[in-house]
Amino acid sequence: MTRKAAADAERTVNNLESILPLVLDKNFQWVMMACVLLGISSGMIGCFALLKKYSLLGDTIAHAALPGIALAFMLTGTKSLDIFLIGAAIAGLLSATCIRLITYHTRIKQDTALAIVLSVFFGFGTVLLTKIAQSGSGNQAGLDAFLFGKAASLVSSDVWVMAIGTVILILLAGIFFKELKLLAFDPDFGRGIGWPMHILEGLLMLMLVLSVIIGLQAVGVVLMSALLIIPAAAARYWTEKLHVMLVIAAVFGAFSGFVGTIASTLAPRMPTGPLIVLTAAGLFAVSAFFAPRRGWVTQWIRKFRWRRAFGNKRPVLNEKAASQD
Amino acid sequence: MCVDPHLYKATQSDIQKLENADIIFYNGLNLEGKLSDIFVRMGAKKPTVAVTETIPPEKLREPGEFDGHYDPHVWFDISLWTYAVERVRDALMELDPEHAETYRQNAAAYMKQLQELDGYAKEQIAQIPERSRVLVTAHDAFGYFGQAYGMEVMGLQGISTDAEYGVKDVQNLVNTLVERQIKAVFIESSVSPKAIEAVVEGAKEKGHDVVIGGELFSDALGAAGTPEGTYIGMFRYNIDTIVNALK
Amino acid sequence: MAYALWIVLTGALVASSCGMIGCYLILRKMAMLGDAISHAILPGIVLAFLFSHQLETAYVLTGASLVGLLSTVLIQALHRRGVQSDAAIGVTFTSLFALGVVLVSHYADQVHLDLQHVLYGEIAYVPWDMVTLAGVTMPKAIWTMGTVFLITLIVIGLFYKELKLTSFDPQLAVTLGIPVSLIHYLLMALVSLNTVAAFESVGSILVVAMLVVPGATAYLLTNRLGGMLALSVAIGTAAAALGYALAAIWDVSIAGAMATVSGVLFLLAFLFSPRHGCITLRWARQMFQRSSHS
Repeated sequence: MTRKAAADAERTVNNLESILPLVLDKNFQWVMMACVLLGISSGMIGCFALLKKYSLLGDTIAHAALPGIALAFMLTGTKSLDIFLIGAAIAGLLSATCIRLITYHTRIKQDTALAIVLSVFFGFGTVLLTKIAQSGSGNQAGLDAFLFGKAASLVSSDVWVMAIGTVILILLAGIFFKELKLLAFDPDFGRGIGWPMHILEGLLMLMLVLSVIIGLQAVGVVLMSALLIIPAAAARYWTEKLHVMLVIAAVFGAFSGFVGTIASTLAPRMPTGPLIVLTAAGLFAVSAFFAPRRGWVTQWIRKFRWRRAFGNKRPVLNEKAASQD
Repeated sequence: MCVDPHLYKATQSDIQKLENADIIFYNGLNLEGKLSDIFVRMGAKKPTVAVTETIPPEKLREPGEFDGHYDPHVWFDISLWTYAVERVRDALMELDPEHAETYRQNAAAYMKQLQELDGYAKEQIAQIPERSRVLVTAHDAFGYFGQAYGMEVMGLQGISTDAEYGVKDVQNLVNTLVERQIKAVFIESSVSPKAIEAVVEGAKEKGHDVVIGGELFSDALGAAGTPEGTYIGMFRYNIDTIVNALK
Repeated sequence: MAYALWIVLTGALVASSCGMIGCYLILRKMAMLGDAISHAILPGIVLAFLFSHQLETAYVLTGASLVGLLSTVLIQALHRRGVQSDAAIGVTFTSLFALGVVLVSHYADQVHLDLQHVLYGEIAYVPWDMVTLAGVTMPKAIWTMGTVFLITLIVIGLFYKELKLTSFDPQLAVTLGIPVSLIHYLLMALVSLNTVAAFESVGSILVVAMLVVPGATAYLLTNRLGGMLALSVAIGTAAAALGYALAAIWDVSIAGAMATVSGVLFLLAFLFSPRHGCITLRWARQMFQRSSHS
C-alpha cells in the first residue's frame, strides 16, 4: 500500500472508532430512535393541525392537563406517572371537547378557543394545586412539571410507544386519506356529499390529543409543541399537495430529531429537546427563504427579474384598455 | 409549608399568617425567588430574618463565573444549619427579651440534638466503603451534604431549575456508574424519576446493575405528623436511606 | 380590608388593560400571543442575567421587554410573508424558548436561577410592595398597571379608527392609505408593554386569561367594537372581584380563581347570550316552532 493510502485508511479507522462508541451507546440509540419517530408522527399529524388551525394545541393541552393531574393526585394520593397520565389524558380530551364546542357553536375562532381553554383550565388547575397544598400531604411538590419528560431520558419503552404510535398514525392517514384531505381543505363539501365530517373531525382531534399527551410525557411541552408546528409549517413552503406535505413534514421532523440528538451528544450541558427545536427552526428558515416558488428569496428574485424585464409597469389585460389610458 | 419552594403559590391563609406574624424567618440566598424581595420589603414593618445571613460567605458554595449567587441548599450541612438556629434564637431574643432565657435553653437543647444527628451521620457514612461514597441524584441539591460528610455528589441536572441535561450528560453519568461500580442511585420526592431511570437502564445495558436506593427528601419535608415531617426526622431518613443502599 | 381592595384593584386594572388589548388580538386571530410571549421572553431574562450577573428586576424587565418586542416583530414578519398567524406565533415562541433553555443549561446551570420566578410576580404579594410618589402611597403594582392602563386607553383612543379598520378589513385600510404595518407594530408594542408589566406584577396565569377570556365573552354579547371594549373591561373587573372573593373563601390561588371565574362568565355568555348563546338560540327556535305550529 502507498503511504497515502495507509494514512487514509488509518484516518477512516480513527473516525469509525470515535463514532462507534456513540452509535453503540444504548442511551443515544434510544433517544435518537424515539426522537426520530416522534418527529415523523408529529410532523405528519402537525400538517392536519396546521390546516385546521389547531397548531397550538400542544401548548394548550400541556396547560389544560394541570387540573387533570391535580385531581388524579387528590383522588389517589400517590405520585404515579401512570395515574397522572390518565388524569392528563382525560383533561386533554375534555379540553378538546370544549374547544370544538366553542368553535362549532359560536363565531369564536380556533385560536381564541384554544387560548380560553388554556387559561381557564390552567387557572382552575392552579386553584386545585393550592387546595392540595393546604391539605399538607407533603408529597405534592412539583406536581405540574412531574409528568413532562425530557428528551435526553428516553428509554427503550419510549421507543416502542413511539414506534407503535407512528405506525398507527401512518396506517390511519393512509386508510382515511381521502376523508382527511376533504376534512382539511373543504369540510363543507364533505358535509354536502353526506360524509360524517363531524365524526371525522372528532377522530382527528382524538388522535391529536393522544399524540400530544404521549409526546408531552416523553419530551415535555416545548419540544412537543414545536414538533407539532414547525415541520408542518416548513413543509408548507414546498408544496400545495397534502400527501407531499405529509412526507416532507415527516422527513423534516425525523431530520430534526436526528441532528438534534447528535448535537446533544457532542458536549455536556447541551439539552436535547431544545436542540431538536432549534434544528427544526433552522429547517423552517431554510424553507421560508429558499423554497422554490414560495420561498422569500425565490420570490424576491422573481420580482427582481420582472422589474428588469418590464420596468415598473403593471401587467395589462388588453391593448385597447392600455391605449385608452 | 411543605411545597417545593420553586413552585410555591400563595393563598389567603398563608398571607394571613404572614400578615399576623410577629416575625418572619426565611431561608434566604434567593431560594424563595421573588418572595425574598417581598420579605426584605416587609422588613420595614416587622422583623424579617434570612436565617442564612450569618453564615460566613467562604463556607458557601459558589459557581466560578457568577459571584454572589450561592447555592442555597445549606440545610444539608448541619454545621451550617446551626448558624441558622443561632440566628433564629438571637432574633427571637431580640424580639421578645422577656423570654430570652427560654429561647436560649430551647436553642441549646435543639443544637445538642443537631450535634447528635451530625455525629450519627458521620458514623453511619463511615460504614460505607470509601470508594462507594458517591451520591447520585437527579439534581444538584446535595452539594453541601457531600461537602460536609465526605461524599462525592453527582446530579444530572444543575441547580438551576430552568437548565436541562442532554444525552451526553446521561451518558457521562452512566459511564461513571459503570466504571466506579456504584451500587445505588437515588430519586427525589420533588423530581420526576424518569431521569434517574434512564441512567439506571443505560447502566444495565452496559452490564452494570444499579439499584434505585430509595427516595430522598431534597426540597421538601415529609408529611406533617410523620417523623419525616421534621428537619431531624427528614435528615435521619435521608442518611439511613443512603447508607443502607450503599454500604 | 385595604389588603383586599388593593388586590381587587390590581386585578381589575390588569383585566381592563389586557381585556381591551385582547379584543384586538381576538379580532386579528392572535389570541395565543399572550401565552407565547410568556415563553418567548426566557432568552431575554437569561441574556440579561449573563450580561449583568444580576437578578435585579430592572435588568430582568429590560431583557424581557426587548425580547418580548422582538418576538412580536418576528411573528409579524412571518405572518406578512404568508405564514398562518398561529404557526407564526408557534414557530417564534418555541424557537426562542428553546434558545433560552440552551443558554441557561450551557452557561448558568450551577446558579440557583429560577428564571420564571425572577420575573413573574404573584398578585397576593401586591399590597406588601408599597411605593410613595408625590405623597401618595400605593402598591407598586397599582402604579405600574395604572400607568399601563392609561397609556393603553390613550393609544386606543387616539388610533381608534385605524385600529378598528385594520382589525376588521386590512385590505380596505391599505387602500385608504392607513399605514397598516405601523398600526400593527403599535398594537404589538402595547401588547408587549401590557404583558411584561403585568407578568412582573401578577404573574402569567392571570395575564393570559385576562387577555382573551373577557374579550371573547364580550364578543358573544355584542356586535360593536366599542361595546366589546367596554364589556371586556366590565367583565374583567367582575372576574377580578368575584375571583378574589372565592379565593378568600376557599383559600386558594387568587390568580387561578380570577381566571376560573372569567371562564365561568364566558360559559354563561356561551349558553345564555341574547344573540349567540346556545341555550338562548335553542329556546328561540322552540318558541318559533311552537308559534308557527299554532
